Amino acid sequence: MTAVDPVVVLVLGYAGLILAVAGGLERLARHAAARSDRYRTAGFTYQPEHDLWVCPRNEQLWPHEVDRDRRLVRYRARPAVCNACPAKTDCTGSHDGREIVRPVDRWPHSEAGRFHRAVSVTLTAIAAAFIATAAVAYHRPPELAALVPAGALTGWLLWRWARDFWRTPSGFPDVQTVRGRTSGDPLPGPAAARGGAGPVLVDLVPPSRQRAGTVWGFDRHSSAHRYRSAREAASDDIGEDPA
Amino acid sequence: MTTVRERPGETGRRPLLVSKAWIQAVALVMLFGFAVMGLLAYRTYTAEPPIPDRVVTTDGRVLYTGADVSRGQQVFLHNGLMEYGSIFGHGAYLGPDFTDDYLHRSAESVTRQLGGAGSDAVAQRVIHDFRENQYNEATGTLTVTREQAVAFDENVAYYGQFFGANDTSKGLRPEAITDPTEIRQLTAFFSWTAWAASTDRPGKDYSYTNNWPPEPLVGNKPTANVVVWSVLSLVALLAGIGALFAVFGRWGDRLGWRGRQADTLSFRGPDAVTLTPAQRATAWFFLVVGLLFLVQTLLGAASEHYRADVTSFFGFDLARLLPYNLVRTWHLQLALFWVSAAFLAAGIFLAPIIAGREPRRQNVLAYILLGAVAVVVFGSLIGEGLSIHGVFSRPGSFFQSQGFEYLDLARAWQVLLTLGLFIWAAILFRGLRVRLARDHMGNMPWLFFLAALAIPAFYAVGLLVDNSDNFTHADFWRFWVVHLWVEDFLELFTTVMVAYIFVMLGVIRERVAMTVIYLDVLLYSAGGVIGTMHHLYFSGEPAEHMALGAFFSAAEVIPLTFLTVEAWSFLQLGSRQEGKSATPFPHRWAVMFLVAVGFWNFVGAGIFGFLINLPIVSYYEIGTALTANHGHAAMMGVYGMLAMGLALFCLRYLIPERHWPERLAKISFWSANLGLLWMCFATLLPVGILQLYESVDSGYHAARTLEYVTNPTNSVFEWLRLPGDVVFIVGGALPFLWICWLGVRHSVRRRLPTTLEEPEDMLFTDITVPAEDGRQREASGASATTSTRE
Repeated sequence: MTAVDPVVVLVLGYAGLILAVAGGLERLARHAAARSDRYRTAGFTYQPEHDLWVCPRNEQLWPHEVDRDRRLVRYRARPAVCNACPAKTDCTGSHDGREIVRPVDRWPHSEAGRFHRAVSVTLTAIAAAFIATAAVAYHRPPELAALVPAGALTGWLLWRWARDFWRTPSGFPDVQTVRGRTSGDPLPGPAAARGGAGPVLVDLVPPSRQRAGTVWGFDRHSSAHRYRSAREAASDDIGEDPA
Repeated sequence: MTTVRERPGETGRRPLLVSKAWIQAVALVMLFGFAVMGLLAYRTYTAEPPIPDRVVTTDGRVLYTGADVSRGQQVFLHNGLMEYGSIFGHGAYLGPDFTDDYLHRSAESVTRQLGGAGSDAVAQRVIHDFRENQYNEATGTLTVTREQAVAFDENVAYYGQFFGANDTSKGLRPEAITDPTEIRQLTAFFSWTAWAASTDRPGKDYSYTNNWPPEPLVGNKPTANVVVWSVLSLVALLAGIGALFAVFGRWGDRLGWRGRQADTLSFRGPDAVTLTPAQRATAWFFLVVGLLFLVQTLLGAASEHYRADVTSFFGFDLARLLPYNLVRTWHLQLALFWVSAAFLAAGIFLAPIIAGREPRRQNVLAYILLGAVAVVVFGSLIGEGLSIHGVFSRPGSFFQSQGFEYLDLARAWQVLLTLGLFIWAAILFRGLRVRLARDHMGNMPWLFFLAALAIPAFYAVGLLVDNSDNFTHADFWRFWVVHLWVEDFLELFTTVMVAYIFVMLGVIRERVAMTVIYLDVLLYSAGGVIGTMHHLYFSGEPAEHMALGAFFSAAEVIPLTFLTVEAWSFLQLGSRQEGKSATPFPHRWAVMFLVAVGFWNFVGAGIFGFLINLPIVSYYEIGTALTANHGHAAMMGVYGMLAMGLALFCLRYLIPERHWPERLAKISFWSANLGLLWMCFATLLPVGILQLYESVDSGYHAARTLEYVTNPTNSVFEWLRLPGDVVFIVGGALPFLWICWLGVRHSVRRRLPTTLEEPEDMLFTDITVPAEDGRQREASGASATTSTRE
């Protein structure tokens, strides 16, 4: 029985390292995005059980509207209270009460999130390329026994992340002024979610119907929203793999 | 109607928007940093390895003189060899490190002459011969043993054949150096660096270079300083990060910039913004930028090809025309040129928005500057080509390229470039003058101007570098440009520019922007100024440079980690468009490039930088592919992406809306980023790790040989890089060039409306608050002039 060539072990180690880096960066990027949120919401606390925000001076901000274009829920405090508040100048310039927005979709819900998800996809692709190259050069049975499962795992990861990437809308208002907005596909589903230009389905769902995240990766926790993103709604209605 | 805060001071200036403590803190940090740098400069001159007047053998024969060493250094630099191999670990990574190469060959030769390896007594004798300091300061004479003299002659023959070979198998042009005198001088220079690298400093038990390179034959191993300061700086880093995160986690939200509601804005469509003549002129700058960027990436691909297959470029012998050292010289010079040109243009573009008006004929000055820049860029590149091909061989010629890595250009071009940068600062001053006169010197317009002024000021330090000087202090001043100028002051200027753009776009308010800028300056300068020394661990500086360099550059990573996470989220701010703007946000891809900058700052500068920063790592790593990994991820990732983002921001207004190529911008963004990612993680990082392993395992000399660098394993890695490079060039650089071209085409095609007076709300209108709310006006950037006009 011949031993596995050390190069194969090295390649597998490096592929594992890259995947770990991808995971780590994903986490950090999400953290950075959360901090970015704090630029707007520092001092305010969100209370998921009531779906409201509480401001530093204990005023409550209730859901005010759902912005379908930008995929946000807007919360607003009572104007009468805010306009009389001594801290108003540091809080808002609006006379209609302080407003806070909260995105409907989970990470990577934003364009920045998509960028970091693309980073993960590319790193996984590199890991896959390494394993594939190693398999071309070293393909005795014991080596293949190590490379094939690793390659399969990486490939599966790549497929999941890539699919997730394509389906995640950027949430960026489209600025294609040349060709104009596409009129969009009225049907919910991946086609609508893909470009970010189509109609966005944001429906209010009772908390009892909340589902844990279905996407593999680092966002496998409940979104703690009462709002489902278009993707969640679509996968509910159409099934796990509408593509 | 002015509020208390709004009232102009006695001088008629707008008062400082943030606490004075910020300015005092920045002044203190700068003062401290540069005081220490002054001290270190003094120590550099007093403790650098001396160049002996003459080197004699024990029987009195003069081997070479100090003049030979100096002249040899010029031969080395003029022929672009620092862009082929390295000296004291500094330079390019294809060829050997010549300090180490000479030392290794010489030690092997002496061992052979004394009776061969295997004998412990011989090994001890060799170590003793090499380490003992036989330099007599009084007479300026260095005495070497008979065996060392023989080794020198052998090396002269070896390098004569190395550089004189009539083939391109090493990536150099055929018969690169053939003159026997020059070869002897060149070898004398190598010999002197090897002497400094192995000989104990007077009164110390380590060499002038802190025992670098690792070479067991002469007893070079890591000194106590190398190990201790690595550990200490690591401890400082961990403790510092912990403390900083604790402090900011606890009190960070109270800095006063957080939690405010985003203003509801209406962005002006690009067509609704009337540009000034000077702003129109920047279209030509960006075309040059796009062109230089494309050429730079192509040269990068060529230099990469030398690593994958050194002898043939797809069947064509490239090295006859474009030898590796020329390709790399141009690649590095262009990296600085196109990025700086983009910053120059962005500065000119922003000035009228900041000032609210533009003086007459500012565009003429901009065109003159562009002409000067073009002359310098193309003149210096051609000069470098001629120099490497051996045209200017007279020593000290004003047009002969200087050959220092990053300061390759000839003295004449260097002077012109410095002048050009000062002219640029003067153009900005002319444009901003009216605004500066009305504002406190700590406010944003002044920050913008002062940060701009620092760019020519610190580039000018490069003029102190003379290629016939002692290499150690020449290198000291060189890194004032490479590190302080590039890594600190360009960083500072870009921070100010990005913050200003965010203010102009209404993403943040001026007060917040200033807090971010001051914090940034403070944290970067605290570690970054003295951190410059982390380049100079092993180039002949005394141990204190290494101690301070390691400690402060580890401290530099603290803000880098903190600030990049912070700046990362700060830069992500622009990509969040939550407000109910009636008009679409026009800068989708410009702000996405800024998001990418945040990412690369963390990965490329922070992680990859720290990876090679500890003295003990650097000791084995310097001059290997891991340095290239850091260089690419930080230079292209941070400055390149920033330059592209700034260019797209300006071009968005230069190109009429109906011609704006949103798709191309998107392709360019994704390709540039993913291509760079591929380049770093598929090739540079793994190759670097393997080379570091080889260096620790088989010795530094083995890890730097051409045989190792181009071995089959590495070759596979280098070929693996191809897809990423193709994506980067075809998908990233080409569309970018096309967008730049569109800017020119639509700026000059017909008579476009231009103006000298910019409206107060140039890029957006604030629809949150009625216009008579003074407080609001004061804070909203581009409109900040209202109160003082009354």
